[in-house]
Amino acid sequence: MTQRGHVLDDSWYLDYAAGTLGTEAQDVMMASHVELSDEARGRVAALETLGGAMLDASDGEAPLGFSVEDILRRAGSEAEEDLTAAPVAAAPAADDGLCLPQALQDYLARTGTPVRWGFLGPGMRKAILWRGEHGERLWLLRAQPGVAIPHHGHNGSELTLVLKGSFWDGDQEYRPGDVEEAHPGVEHDIRIDEGGECICLALTEGKLKFESPVLRAFQVFTGL
Amino acid sequence: MTQDTDRRRSISDAARLAGLLEQVGRKRDAQAFRALFDHFAPRIRSFLMKRRVSAALADDLTQDVMLAIWRRASSFDAAKASAATWIYTIARNAHIDHYRKAVRARKIDEHDPHFQPPDQPLPDDLYERAEAGQSVTGALSGLPDDQRLVLELAFTEGLSHSEIAERLDLPLGTVKSRVRLAMNKMRQGLGEWK
Repeated sequence: MTQRGHVLDDSWYLDYAAGTLGTEAQDVMMASHVELSDEARGRVAALETLGGAMLDASDGEAPLGFSVEDILRRAGSEAEEDLTAAPVAAAPAADDGLCLPQALQDYLARTGTPVRWGFLGPGMRKAILWRGEHGERLWLLRAQPGVAIPHHGHNGSELTLVLKGSFWDGDQEYRPGDVEEAHPGVEHDIRIDEGGECICLALTEGKLKFESPVLRAFQVFTGL
Repeated sequence: MTQDTDRRRSISDAARLAGLLEQVGRKRDAQAFRALFDHFAPRIRSFLMKRRVSAALADDLTQDVMLAIWRRASSFDAAKASAATWIYTIARNAHIDHYRKAVRARKIDEHDPHFQPPDQPLPDDLYERAEAGQSVTGALSGLPDDQRLVLELAFTEGLSHSEIAERLDLPLGTVKSRVRLAMNKMRQGLGEWK
């Protein structure tokens, strides 16, 4: 089987399919990736098949506190609002070609999170969507064609999912649906493809580490 | 031989359940729904209880899931997934949604006994349980015990791969490589399980 695109370690797909990811931000990141990547969707579908088989095999001997007639009565009496369905997402105000996946749009609508762009660096803007209790951030990066993000490392791990356009890390190209997992201690040299602007969803666990003191100084303002 | 018979029975059972779900989707067939309920409602409840949900909440969530099955059955596509897989994803999502909502409302006390793993079996007991062939799924049965155990803990007890490493007292990298090996093997033999 040929692998299409850049994907993550299988443990990510297992946690996603089993419903055991640690945070909602990870849910959103993985759901967006699975939505955009055929390879990821295939892996998750295989695992969900297992989940279904295990559900089917679970012994259900304890008596239920309700009957099927209770459900049918509820189905008849309640308005046809679906209690477990994802809320219908309001289109983000002025979706000016952001190409946000449905899973992300649903999350923004559900939590009432606005997309507010701020300065990140020359040719780059960022919109922070969520901050976790342990310094994690879910954010959007929007970069102009050809922009370079020079040598940097990470204090924690970082997932970067391409939503639009593409970027290069060394000789590897990342396209929509592809995700790059950066680990602490690994240096990156990112360049946005010349072909068009690039929008990425990133989930970052520690601050970025820049070699250049100028870029380090920028961090005070950018919050990354 | 017995395995073969079991297998044939489970395949025809799967076809019956998919048929029932399609009938609910097409005609809102209450009789078909009753049969689905008899099969799945106790399983969904038991699945949630294994994930350390209280009995009362498991009842509530199971009812929500059954109601969602009734309402969304028309979007079920037997060519894409089995009835059990489709229902599994609804149950899993109902459980996550509930948990995330509670976290967002800051109602979750991490020291709440509900969120503490109950008396944890020792790794040796877990291996014995896995060996006892408690799992009946064909895709799993071809896997070595150590790989199968990791997948079972993930799906049945709802443990993340790092929680599994803790539970089995293994390095994280070992668990990751078991997941990888298991998935490679399943990918090779998965066709028949779709």
